[in-house]
Amino acid sequence: MKYFFIGVVFCLCVFVGYIISRKYIKRKRFFESIIAFADKLSLDINFSRERLKVLIENFDLGSRKNLLGIDCAFLDFLDKKCDLSSEVVFKKADVLKEEEKDLVLLFLKALGRSDVENQTKEISGFVTRFVEIKKNCDEEQKKYGTLSLKLGIVAGLFLVIVMI
Amino acid sequence: MLEKILPEKIYKIISEKVNFKAINEIRLRADKPVLLNEGGKFFYLGENGTTSKQSEAIFASKIMVEDVVFRASECSIYSVNEQIKRGFIVTDDAVRIGLGGNIVEENGKIKTMTNFSSVNIRIPHLIKNCSLSAFSFIVKGQNIENTLVVSPVGAGKTTFLRDFVSQLSLHNIPLNVLLLDERGELDFLINSNFCDKIAFSSKKIGFENGIRSLAPDLVVTDEIGQEEDIEAIRFAVGCGCKILASCHCDNLENFSKKTLFQDLLKEKIFKRFVFLSKRNGPGTLEGVYDENMSRIFRNF
Repeated sequence: MKYFFIGVVFCLCVFVGYIISRKYIKRKRFFESIIAFADKLSLDINFSRERLKVLIENFDLGSRKNLLGIDCAFLDFLDKKCDLSSEVVFKKADVLKEEEKDLVLLFLKALGRSDVENQTKEISGFVTRFVEIKKNCDEEQKKYGTLSLKLGIVAGLFLVIVMI
Repeated sequence: MLEKILPEKIYKIISEKVNFKAINEIRLRADKPVLLNEGGKFFYLGENGTTSKQSEAIFASKIMVEDVVFRASECSIYSVNEQIKRGFIVTDDAVRIGLGGNIVEENGKIKTMTNFSSVNIRIPHLIKNCSLSAFSFIVKGQNIENTLVVSPVGAGKTTFLRDFVSQLSLHNIPLNVLLLDERGELDFLINSNFCDKIAFSSKKIGFENGIRSLAPDLVVTDEIGQEEDIEAIRFAVGCGCKILASCHCDNLENFSKKTLFQDLLKEKIFKRFVFLSKRNGPGTLEGVYDENMSRIFRNF
């Protein structure tokens, strides 16, 4: 029974470390996907000039999963089902910092509001800023992501030793 | 479609407290009262429907106006920029939204419009049989006379054209009809099995491409008003196509004075002129004239 309990405690520590490290992975994937999303929008707006709704719906499903629901919230806004507010858009995106949320919201608010030339320029401006954030996310993930997982394991081992 | 375009509050009042079928236009101007055109007359829109008192009117804001434009473009202004350059957006169900705002020019050409300050939402209506009174003067057996429909703005030219095309099909006159639709609103609810459409092109390009590729018997087009349009009509007639067109003008007198149409009148390209007015509401048929401008039908 004791060893079982020790095992559970160890797993719990590792799990907590994993959860913390996942936050950094999620953030990194989010910005990778939003950059891909913005690039694709820019390309499609120039090429096909198709409506935003169609472009978003056609965006790669795998990448859409990493957008933490902001794509669905934006589609709902396009369908006039909700407002484009921070509470609605980032309901599932709790891993983003406030200033990042503001930037993403500004990006969404700028979509579909101008002609091709200006729209492309605007998107390109946002992409530049997303790339900077993604770089930070990469570093954070390398530093803190792996660190938190390792700390989880170390903490687990420490507790195991103490308990034995 | 209006549900998607209009601000929720305005749509709710219009759908619940106004006779929607009678509305021809909804006008929103930044910081001004919302106006409705009902049967040719303008009223303010109030909390309880239409009103003639400005004090009861609902005011539109600039944000509202810009949102209408954004929504009318299906949230994709870039996709309708070619229309915006010409000053309007047409939705899938032929609602035409005229735009007021700042024009951005570059090298003498319109690049786009921004800073929208007013919109004029024109709602199309299908008035069945509205062209019937003039029909027998235009159609003789399987033959159609080249016809020009003349009326002031908002007096039912486009509605007349739509109904006429439907009537051809209903009367089993199997002519291939080409709708040359510069603004994408002409084919709304047309009930015809013989119709092709070329939309959002200039008259010149539309006539040339349409005649070459679709071999129509009759070309129907709205609002001719430039020398280039007249040239396109000459080209079509020269190719053996019949023409049903429309143009803006108040009345016969002013029409006869219009320099643009002088040559057309001399050449007698059009054999019939149908005059419409708003005298008894939009679409009132004032008269039908022949190529010598002699009246062959008068509506009392």
